[in-house]
Amino acid sequence: MATLVLDNGACTAKIGYSHEAVSIIPNCQFRSKTSRLKTFTANQIDEIKDPSGLFFILPFQKGYLVNWDVQRKVWDHLFGKEMFKVDFSDTSIIITEPYFNFSSIQESMTEILFEEYQFQSVLRINAGSLSAHHYFSSQPSELCCLLVDSGFSFTHIAPYCRSKKMKEGIRRVNVGGKLLTNHLKEIISYRQLHVMDETHVINQVKEDVCYVSQHFYKDMKVSQMKGEENTVVRDYVLPDFSSIRKGFCKPPDEMVFSGKYKTGEQILRLANERFAVPEMLFHPSDIGLQETGIPEAIVDSIQSLPEEMQAHFYQNVVLTGGNTLFSGFRERLEAELRSLAPAHLPVSVLQPQNPISYSWEGGKLLAHSPDYDELIVTRDDYEENGHFICEEKFDM
Amino acid sequence: MVLEKKGSARVEAGQRRVLDEATRQRRLTRQLDALEKDNFQDDPLSSLPPPGPTARLPAFSETEEPEKKKRKTRGDHFKQRFRKNFTTLLEEENLSERAEPNYLSAAAPPSSLPPRHFCCVCGFPSHYTCTTCGGRYCSSRCLCTHRETRCLKWTL
Ligand SMILES: [Zn+2]
Ligand SMILES: [Zn+2]
Repeated sequence: MATLVLDNGACTAKIGYSHEAVSIIPNCQFRSKTSRLKTFTANQIDEIKDPSGLFFILPFQKGYLVNWDVQRKVWDHLFGKEMFKVDFSDTSIIITEPYFNFSSIQESMTEILFEEYQFQSVLRINAGSLSAHHYFSSQPSELCCLLVDSGFSFTHIAPYCRSKKMKEGIRRVNVGGKLLTNHLKEIISYRQLHVMDETHVINQVKEDVCYVSQHFYKDMKVSQMKGEENTVVRDYVLPDFSSIRKGFCKPPDEMVFSGKYKTGEQILRLANERFAVPEMLFHPSDIGLQETGIPEAIVDSIQSLPEEMQAHFYQNVVLTGGNTLFSGFRERLEAELRSLAPAHLPVSVLQPQNPISYSWEGGKLLAHSPDYDELIVTRDDYEENGHFICEEKFDM
Repeated sequence: MVLEKKGSARVEAGQRRVLDEATRQRRLTRQLDALEKDNFQDDPLSSLPPPGPTARLPAFSETEEPEKKKRKTRGDHFKQRFRKNFTTLLEEENLSERAEPNYLSAAAPPSSLPPRHFCCVCGFPSHYTCTTCGGRYCSSRCLCTHRETRCLKWTL
């Protein structure tokens, strides 16, 4: 029997068979200005020649699956003949859900996977639990780890002691990649160019130019300077989707500090925006969101846990999710934790090679582990016991 | 995005109105809600002109027809509980009466660090507060821009 691993994120699905490699595919539908009657699903985004003004139809709201019509369309496409060609009579699935997933969403999930798609067995599990499995598989001597999963909808801090999730220590910071992109769109639109409809383009700008500052107020000063002294400022060439397919930063030595470029490209000039946007992850109160940033939330989480474990958590902070890819993220988090944690405890923040697919890889490992058969709910189990057996086995 | 100003924000004869705390809070909530939006523009599909006798449909409309039929049968199949938004689902969970930890109790608490202030025009650190709306600014130039653009125009 084949096992399909699906880390079903609010922005991308990380999907693949447990004996193959992962694919990262948009978990949503799109409509474009140029072919308004057609709805593009998941990786069909590649067929859109001009993605300016791209319209997004997302199955998730605030990190929770609410639009099943859209989700089913995406799954139909992913499972179907164009992509994974799932033979449901001979396939089991491992699928991820957010922490504290609502019970009605859990029921719908079980029902759709068994009754609509007819999978042979189901394992519904938090993405963080797969990441923890990954971490403990590669670090068998460690007892505890503290996951920081910073994704599209929000950021979770989740402590694990071996395979056990320490639910009382889970913290949610309501800052994710979506908020960062929307905030960047907002300030660019106010300060220089109307880009409110260009989520797709500005998300790319964010990934290309934003970084986490190590010395926030110093970078603020530098980014205010004139001419070449301003080592923060960048000019970003926007794509026009004919001659420029993808936006890019002007190399610093080609930058024109005063006056215009002769090339006639459309330019965004980014200075404090580059680091003030990811700063929301560390200081949500900068935009009026009254909650702690990631470093303080980590300390709050660890302090809620048994004292004898606390040292282990500070030494095993593991980063997953796309926002942790901002350059400087790991260093800044480690430095802030160092200053917040008790002085006698060592602090260590680890960034896996690929923080986006880290939990998917954990699912792949889990599918081959001897414990796997104990964790799943089979068709027979479900037909006999219904939702009850899932509530028993799956702890969201 | 820039909303029309209404009564509560009108400039009185010769002097600037001061927004009350409740209005400032509403304004902040709206700004934060905007950061959750999936799209700011209208759905391109909904902005199509209604097909009249002279309207020429794009060629691929034929391939789209069976899709629409499929969607309908699916709609029947999905019961009411498959069509709830986040707020409804959250209310139904009735979490305030459930055992912790849960979705509500997991929210990060307010920060104990002092708030930092940035100019709402240019984003650099700011030392001054607009007396009208409570927004921050860093210089007379930015204050000027702020007053001309957002100060009172963002108010419900
Ligand atoms: Zn300013
Ligand atoms: Zn003002």
